Amino acid sequence: MAGSNEVNANECRMVVPLNTWVLISNFKLAYNMLRRPDGTFDRHLAEFLDRKVPANAAPVNGVVSFDILIDRTNNLLARIYRPAPPNPSPATTPLADLHRPPSPDPFPVIIFFHGGSFAHSSPNTAIYDSLCRRFVSLCGAVVISVDYRRSPEYRYPCAYDDGWAALKWASTEPWLHGGKDAKLRVFLCGDSSGGNIAHHVAVRAAESGIEVSGNILLNPMFGGNHRTESEKRLDGKYFVTIQDRDWYWKAYLPEGADRDHPACNPFGPNGVNLEELPFTKSLVIVAGLDLVQDWQLAYADGLKTAGKDVKLVYREQATIGFYLLPNTDHFYEVMEEIKNFVTSNL
Amino acid sequence: MKREHQDAVDGGGSWHPEAAAMEDEKGKGTMGAEEDGGDDELLAALGYKVRSSEMADVAQKLEQLEKAMGSSTAANDDALVSHLASDTVHYNPSDIATWVDNILWELNASPTPLAPRPPSPPPPPPPAVPLQNHHHQRHFDLPLAGPEQSTITTVDLPTAPRRLADNYDPKPLPAPHAAAGRIVYGSDAQSVVAPSPRDRKRMKVCSSPPSSSSTTDAAKSDKALPVVVVDTQEAGIRLVHALMACAEAVQQESLKAADALVKQITVLNTSQGGAMRKVAGYFAEALTRRIYRPQPHRGVGCSSRDSAALDNILHQHFYESSPYLKFAHFTANQAILEAFAGCRRVHVVDFGMRQGLQWPALLQALALRPGGPPAFRLTGIGPPQPDHSGALQEVGWKLAQLAGTIRIDFRYRGLVAASLADLEPHMLLDPNTGDCSDGGEDEEPEAVAVNSVFELHGLLARPGALEKVLGTVRAVQPRIVTVVEQEANHNGGTFVERFTEALHYYSTMFDSLEGGALAADAACGGGRRDQALSEVYLGRQICNVVSCEGVERTERHEALAQWRARMGRAGFDPVAIGSNAFKQASMLLALFAGGDGYRVEEKEGCLTLGWHTRPLIATSAWRVAASAGGDPIAAAAAAAL
Repeated sequence: MAGSNEVNANECRMVVPLNTWVLISNFKLAYNMLRRPDGTFDRHLAEFLDRKVPANAAPVNGVVSFDILIDRTNNLLARIYRPAPPNPSPATTPLADLHRPPSPDPFPVIIFFHGGSFAHSSPNTAIYDSLCRRFVSLCGAVVISVDYRRSPEYRYPCAYDDGWAALKWASTEPWLHGGKDAKLRVFLCGDSSGGNIAHHVAVRAAESGIEVSGNILLNPMFGGNHRTESEKRLDGKYFVTIQDRDWYWKAYLPEGADRDHPACNPFGPNGVNLEELPFTKSLVIVAGLDLVQDWQLAYADGLKTAGKDVKLVYREQATIGFYLLPNTDHFYEVMEEIKNFVTSNL
Repeated sequence: MKREHQDAVDGGGSWHPEAAAMEDEKGKGTMGAEEDGGDDELLAALGYKVRSSEMADVAQKLEQLEKAMGSSTAANDDALVSHLASDTVHYNPSDIATWVDNILWELNASPTPLAPRPPSPPPPPPPAVPLQNHHHQRHFDLPLAGPEQSTITTVDLPTAPRRLADNYDPKPLPAPHAAAGRIVYGSDAQSVVAPSPRDRKRMKVCSSPPSSSSTTDAAKSDKALPVVVVDTQEAGIRLVHALMACAEAVQQESLKAADALVKQITVLNTSQGGAMRKVAGYFAEALTRRIYRPQPHRGVGCSSRDSAALDNILHQHFYESSPYLKFAHFTANQAILEAFAGCRRVHVVDFGMRQGLQWPALLQALALRPGGPPAFRLTGIGPPQPDHSGALQEVGWKLAQLAGTIRIDFRYRGLVAASLADLEPHMLLDPNTGDCSDGGEDEEPEAVAVNSVFELHGLLARPGALEKVLGTVRAVQPRIVTVVEQEANHNGGTFVERFTEALHYYSTMFDSLEGGALAADAACGGGRRDQALSEVYLGRQICNVVSCEGVERTERHEALAQWRARMGRAGFDPVAIGSNAFKQASMLLALFAGGDGYRVEEKEGCLTLGWHTRPLIATSAWRVAASAGGDPIAAAAAAAL
């Protein structure tokens, strides 16, 4: 075992910058300590280790953020990011200005679901705060990062319910309806488990008649009972193992369910047929060194087969987490793809 | 920022070290890598401190750790990994190198997976060593020559407990409550777990020096404005807008306009409810004071110094109505307990004695620690109380009674001081040995802890006062200095900036009290009264922050980054508070009724307690910096032995 670990470490070290390797390995090892074999999760240690940043209504790089209690009864929090309002006193931002549209022209509202395999992270986790700020700068967007309930304490469908609640909330906020037609131009976006949530919330939106301008899925988390070729080939090689994937699905899916549950495998044997639904168009980004890529590719195929618009971006030598640090072509080119997708679907 | 594709070999995964420098990265204020002492900028933006020059080294450590943990498929590694999570105490996760070192140390110290330690220490045997032989009589010292109003009273505990005082009323102390949703700190022995002797050696010193990076942090923190919006109703927003406009008018000295705005605020406030209405009311009142009393004036109701007795009552209710003070006491006690591990004689100096609410829990934890309790000396400092001059002494008596029941050799000294700056090191000496830390003959030196809960910021009102106090603290050579302060900057920038910060801070604070009161009321009544008086307690702070200036403005709260810089300049190094304290604080918080919104966070070795995502108070721990030129970690290790 030790020998093959060494080979893996070397391979892995060669395809990512060193600081990326350190960052993701650090997460990997910390996360290994948090998952218990009996299916429970060391939540307190997880929160202790998580690096968080507060919201900041003072502009930083032209972006301000503030936290909002969407639903007081169940403590559903979201962090909102937006372009800094034009303000003579740069040090403070009157509260009222935070709730004005950033522009008289149409602007995107991106509802973002952070990753973490349904169990880790929060909107105020530094890596996700950073990513959301970037989306604002990239697209002139208002970004709403949802603090959805996490597993194993809260299983399916809690994360989807919270995502849906956030979408409904956005649809009732006047200041998020931009342009002369006062329309909500909302995109659902997420990485890893967040991508999975974005899909399922988009389904609910399609079923309920809320129009979604587009879905952006970054390394979305899907799976199934079958072991795909990519899972077997890449198991343990680039930060992720089949075993940890299995653990997270077990922690999220209902007790007794298997990975062909439609939450995990939306185009599998128990999947929902999307053909009749006005399901939105999708941008799906897949990393070529992500062991679940076969499921992600199958997802994109599933959308196509159902007649839905999907653009697939396949980054051959990218690993998970490439979008966390702005130090590779993958990062910049994928950000560009996202920007193009958003602006062309506004 | 696009780069050309490299050839297919690396599939476009080329990386751009210079992108880090060119990228205007998140505007965290970092410039080139050198200004941050060489920390990798990209990781720093994500909350991790790794020196660029050490990146490869850290990578190697991570590999080492992974090998040591094994692949998680192997069954016999599960116990090891589980041990790492539950039994290892983690410190300062931002510093990856030290975090990994700590775990590797833990693994080397226990090469085979350990059986999980029992959750609470076993009941201690009756002390085999006779208690320290102190004077048994009570005596009162004559007032020292020195600052006018400072006096010393000393109370000694007889070794065999005499009859309990008839009027011993446990109520002011956190006596165990029936579990009516109240947080129970003092009586739960498991709540403060004494560390093993091995832990004592790992009294973690944060390796990152508080020098250059903290000054940039201080600059950054001036600009940070965390906002949690709980009420998005139109009326609430207009109210806040009016308050801010009024503050602007006051700053520009357009007093007529300011006055008109205050009236408008009052009208707007009538349609408001809940926490926002109360907060707005206090801010409006404070603005009014400022408008109509422009001269520095000892405004009634604006300072906790006005009436120490009233302040104590309000403090008590604040203690009951919310977990902030309990968190402060708990986390500080945890750091003190760890610092005192293995010490046979300890001395705690409490900068704000009041009703001594913090100490029963520490006494109980010490009583239960493996190896038995130390001899415990407490110096309680309080302001002059002309109307009730025995209060400081009375508190000592009550604690002495408690100590008697749990068989701790306890001595108490009350020091009345108008200002902490009036303290001199000799006042903190052990009256029996006449020496502070260097016990004569066969005596082990006293291990000293200095504890300050919300007492340091007031010193910033007078130039030089804080430095003097910190100098006095250093002179008594404490093993640990615990500091709890409001996590806010209410002392910098313009009036409007201060006002804005305070408005957001206290709005969040007041909002947190709402939930707690409802639940406490449901549980055992009195919740509303506690809440109301807590609001008065906080209202006085608001009044002071907004309407006072100069020496009168004592509520000069500053955030962690600023305290770090101040403590660093005064010759202290941070001591990281670990994951064990974090876990226990979180667990106890979960017991607090109405506690859903409270969150504990770890920030560079310190713990904060906040409402939702906004930290509101911060606990930090410090030790005297190692002498220049030495390796601080080695020095700490040497000192610990």
